[in-house]
Amino acid sequence: MKDLEPETPFEINDYIRLEQMPHFLCPGCGHGIALRALLWAVHELQIDKDKLAVVSGIGCSGRLSAYIDANTFHTTHGRPLAFATGLALARPDLHVIVITGDGDSLAIGGNHLIHACRRNLNLTCMMLNNEIYGMTGGQVSPTTSSNRYTTTTPAGNTEPVFDACALASAAGASFVGREVTMQVTGLKNLMRGAIEHHGFSFVEVISDCTEIYGRKNDLGMSPEMMLSQKATMRPEAYRNTVDVPFRPNALECGVLTQKDRPEYGSAYREMTANLRAKGKQHG
Amino acid sequence: MVEKRNGPTNVLIVGVGGQGVIMVSKVLAQLCQNHGYEVKQSEVHGMAKRGGGVFSHVRYGSAVWSPTIPEGEADVLLALEWAEALRWINFMNPDTGTFIADTQRIVPPFACRARGRGEEAGYAPQTPEEIMAQVRAGYAIDATSMAEDLGNLKAANTVLLGALSTTLEFPVEDWLEVIRGFVPPHSIDINMAAFAAGREWAQAGDKRVEESAKGLHKADVELQQQVITKLEITEEWCKGCDICVKMCPERCLRLNEQLVAELPDPSKCTGCRMCEWLCPDFAIKITNTPVLEAAE
Ligand SMILES: Cc1ncc(C[n+]2csc(CCOP(=O)(O)OP(=O)(O)O)c2C)c(N)n1
Ligand code: SF4
Ligand code: SF4
Ligand code: SF4
Ligand SMILES: [Mg+2]
Repeated sequence: MKDLEPETPFEINDYIRLEQMPHFLCPGCGHGIALRALLWAVHELQIDKDKLAVVSGIGCSGRLSAYIDANTFHTTHGRPLAFATGLALARPDLHVIVITGDGDSLAIGGNHLIHACRRNLNLTCMMLNNEIYGMTGGQVSPTTSSNRYTTTTPAGNTEPVFDACALASAAGASFVGREVTMQVTGLKNLMRGAIEHHGFSFVEVISDCTEIYGRKNDLGMSPEMMLSQKATMRPEAYRNTVDVPFRPNALECGVLTQKDRPEYGSAYREMTANLRAKGKQHG
Repeated sequence: MVEKRNGPTNVLIVGVGGQGVIMVSKVLAQLCQNHGYEVKQSEVHGMAKRGGGVFSHVRYGSAVWSPTIPEGEADVLLALEWAEALRWINFMNPDTGTFIADTQRIVPPFACRARGRGEEAGYAPQTPEEIMAQVRAGYAIDATSMAEDLGNLKAANTVLLGALSTTLEFPVEDWLEVIRGFVPPHSIDINMAAFAAGREWAQAGDKRVEESAKGLHKADVELQQQVITKLEITEEWCKGCDICVKMCPERCLRLNEQLVAELPDPSKCTGCRMCEWLCPDFAIKITNTPVLEAAE
C-alpha cells in the first residue's frame, strides 16, 4: 500500500482522451462505470500515465482502451493476455492492465487466460462480464445465465455457466476478486488491490448490457439491472456473518483469493541474466 | 469513590454493537463475584450486528433482588459512545452518580435523515464541556484515540475500565487479574497498558475534557454545512440512461425533454457524488468546495 494519498481529487477528464468522447457505449452500459473505477484506482495509486499500459481485446469491453489517455493497445479477439504477457516481460517497469470481456477471455481466449493464471506474471486483468457477446449483437457466451435468451439461444440457454473467478483461482491466479458496478467505490478499491498485487490478478466485474441482453430478457433498464445485480451479491463483509443458505445463489464479491506464489517475471529475468553471464564467459 | 448506602451498587454500561460492552460488564460482574458480592447482570444486544444500541446492567451488593437498574439510580454510567451516554444520562443518579464516556462518535443512520446543506444534524449536539458542567462527577475521555495510540482501538473498552476502577472500591491487581482472564492471550499486554492509561487519566482529576474533544460535535456539524456544492452536466455526453435519476438518494435529478439529465433545484443536492460515480458516460461533475476556501 502507498501511504500517500494523492493531493488532487480524482478528475476523470485527466485520464481520458477527450477528443474521443462521448464514448461509443450504449446508454447505461455498465462498462463505462467499470472504466471509471479502473482509472480512479490508477489515480489513487498515483501511477504515472507514461508508466501505464492498457491492453484490450475485441468487444465493447475491448473498445475501452481507446478512451484511456495512456499507452494503449487494442489487440485481437481473445489475445490481449498474450500481448500483455510479452509487454510485461519486456517492460517490467510498466503497470500492465488488460481489459477483456466474457467472450474475449473465456471463450476464444480461454486458453490464454488459464496459462496467464498458471504463470502468475505480474499483470492485472479486468474482465467485464455482461453474460453476452455485446459487440456482435448478442450471441450466447460462456457466462450467459441459464434459460436466458440470446440470438443464438432463441429457446433459452441450456448450457451450464462458467464461474470465471473459480476458474482463475484454480488455474493459479494469485489475486482474484469480483464486484458489481453498482458498488463503484468497492470496485475501485478492488482494482487498487489488484494493481498493487505482485503477480497475476484477475477481477471479474459484473456489468450490464442493457441494450441487448437486458432488452432480450426483459431485465429492465440499467438502474433495474444494476440494482438486481446488487441484490444477488454477497459482500465481503458478510462472508462470515450471513449464512450461505440465506442467499443460496449469491454472488460472492470482494477479494476471493489472495495467495503468495512465485511471480513468473522474476524467474524469467533471472534466467535471461544467467544466460547473458554464460554468453560473456564463452566470449 | 461511589459511596454506598443500603442496597446494591448500580453500574450501567452502554454503547453500540461491536465495542465490547458485554466484555466490560462481564469483567465487572466477575470481579464483584470474586469479592463475595451477589451480582446480577442483564443485557440487551439484539441490534449489535447492525450497530444498534447495546446496554448492560450490573448490580452488586450483599443482596440483589431485581436484575435491572431503575431510572435515576445508576451509580456509574459507563458509555463507550458519546450519544449513547447522553441517551442514558437520565438513568444516572443526579446526586451521587458518576459519568464516564468515550468522546468518540459513531453516527447512526437515523441521525443522517435530513441530509441537505444547512439541515440540522440528528446527532446529539451537546459538547463534552456542556455535559461536564451538568454532571456531579464525570470523565469525558477520548478512550478510542488513547487505545489507538497504544496500537489497537479495540482496547478502548479497557481504557474505560481503567477509568471506572477509580470510582469503585476494588484493588487494581484484582481488576487486572480478571481482565487477563477475559482477553485473548496475544492482547494481554495492550489491555494492561490500556487499563493503566485510563486509570491514570481519571486519577488526574474529574470533569476534565481532553483538548482534542473540546467543542467536538458542534464544530463538526458546522464544518459539514460549510460546503458549496456545484453540479455540472456535460450535455453532449449524457445519453439519458436514467441511472443518475434513479440512484440519487435525494431524487433531485430528472431527464428533460431531450432526455438529458438536469437538476431543477440545486438546493436539494447534498453533493454526495453518487450520480457522478455511477454515470457510465462521465457526464456529471460534482465539486464540493468548503466555504472558507471559496471565499479566498
Ligand atoms: C477472431 C475473431 N473472431 C470473432 C470476432 C467477432 N467478435 C467481435 S467481438 C466478439 C465477442 C465479444 O464479446 P465479449 O468479449 O463478451 O465483449 P462485450 O462486447 O460483451 O463487451 C466477437 C465474437 C472477431 N472480432 N475476431
Ligand atoms: S451492446 Fe451491450 S455491452 Fe455493448 S455497448 Fe451496448 S450495452 Fe454495452
Ligand atoms: S447517468 Fe449520466 S448518461 Fe445517464 S442520464 Fe445521468 S448524466 Fe446522463
Ligand atoms: S450529488 Fe448527485 S446523487 Fe448526490 S444528491 Fe446531488 S444530484 Fe443527487
Ligand atoms: Mg460480453
